[in-house]
Amino acid sequence: MTSEQNTHFGFKTVAETEKAKKVAEVFHSVANKYDLMNDVMSAGLHRSWKRFAVSISGVNPGDKVLDIAGGSGDLSKLFAQKVGPEGQVILTDINASMLGVGRDRMLDAGLNVPAMQCDAEKLPFPDQYFDCVIVAFGLRNMTHKDKALAEMQRVLKVGGRLLVLEFSKVWQPLSKAYDVYSFKLLPLMGKLLAKDADSYQYLAESIRMHPDQETLKQMMVDAGLSKVDYYNLAAGVVALHKGYKT
Amino acid sequence: MFKSFSTQILQHLIAQNTWACSMLQPFAGKSVRITIAPVHSTLMILEDGTLAMAGETNIPDASINIAPSLLPRLIAKDEAAKLQIEVTGDTHLATALAKVLSHLRWDYEDDLSKLVGDVPANKIGTFARSSVQSLKGAGINFASMLSEYWQEEKPMLAKKRHVDQFNHDVDHLRSDVERFEKRLQKLAKAREASTATSQAGDSGTIPNNQVTDSVK
Repeated sequence: MTSEQNTHFGFKTVAETEKAKKVAEVFHSVANKYDLMNDVMSAGLHRSWKRFAVSISGVNPGDKVLDIAGGSGDLSKLFAQKVGPEGQVILTDINASMLGVGRDRMLDAGLNVPAMQCDAEKLPFPDQYFDCVIVAFGLRNMTHKDKALAEMQRVLKVGGRLLVLEFSKVWQPLSKAYDVYSFKLLPLMGKLLAKDADSYQYLAESIRMHPDQETLKQMMVDAGLSKVDYYNLAAGVVALHKGYKT
Repeated sequence: MFKSFSTQILQHLIAQNTWACSMLQPFAGKSVRITIAPVHSTLMILEDGTLAMAGETNIPDASINIAPSLLPRLIAKDEAAKLQIEVTGDTHLATALAKVLSHLRWDYEDDLSKLVGDVPANKIGTFARSSVQSLKGAGINFASMLSEYWQEEKPMLAKKRHVDQFNHDVDHLRSDVERFEKRLQKLAKAREASTATSQAGDSGTIPNNQVTDSVK
């Protein structure tokens, strides 16, 4: 096995072909308690981060929006309200368990949001179709982030926006406290609430392996996006990147 | 957190002032940096014509610099102060944004009505407006009372007509001095000319009364 065929899964190195399977196992395992754990881990802040992402999107009524790795559908729900009945929101996720949770939630809310299981590295949509593409807390789990970003850029219309909401590099003075929280408290909470310490250990490790704000910005530029800018949220625990297709 | 909160406030205000969207939409994707030293912030115009705070690495398309000394005059709606605001970059964009920001109004009655209902919100709004008006009136009365006391009873402030008279006298004195200087210069020139003539023609000195006549 050559080094090019390997990738990281948290702090472990695994074959590229295995990563998607392992990530899928993690999300199959946490799907039912996903929202509860998100609320506990972020003290409910993940909701305000998502609302902020929607407010920065500049989406108009009638626009087409693609929600990648949309999981439980929080963002699709917010976007569906924003684009109105003339617009279109498509919820996608590679993981069937997570997508099932999101699809059921859309139906319960009476929203007409199609849910599609697909790989972000091979999006089944034509070129220049969406006004806005968003991926929230999903990019770090993708095996080939560069390919996924290029695909997102491809399906955007000219003038369209790509938004990436993801964990990032925390403000340096807080890094020690954040490490204690991530590697001690997070797996413990996972064990107590979701009965799954390993998945939350992976979460903490995958956050550390994810590119920092400036690196991700450069990756978006390399994928063909322009005017890329980012917002640090909660002292950099999370960053929202926004780039335009020109 | 600050950017998120400020963006929420800006978008709420724009939602209440729907006319602003159509003015801003042609500038979608552009940003303006507003500086009132030492504070500055960059606003971004979004594709739906709303406003948001710009991100960490944004490069603004225009800048508006307001000197802190101008602030009281701008608050008092002094038109001359507006001309002293420094605008650089895309001036068309900066002017449009400045116009929108100066005309944005917070419809607090509308917000209040969502909490307490329409009628109480209107009553509270009316009461607040009349209270502010009364306070403003009381403030003006108090200021004129103090001004009168310091002008008449215990003179510490100059009266307007005295200041005007003083300014007029200073102007008059300035013109007198300028006229006097001109006369002196003419006199000096005439003296130099007569000295030169007397040296060249060896015709003796010109009487003083002739010089005086020539500069009259």
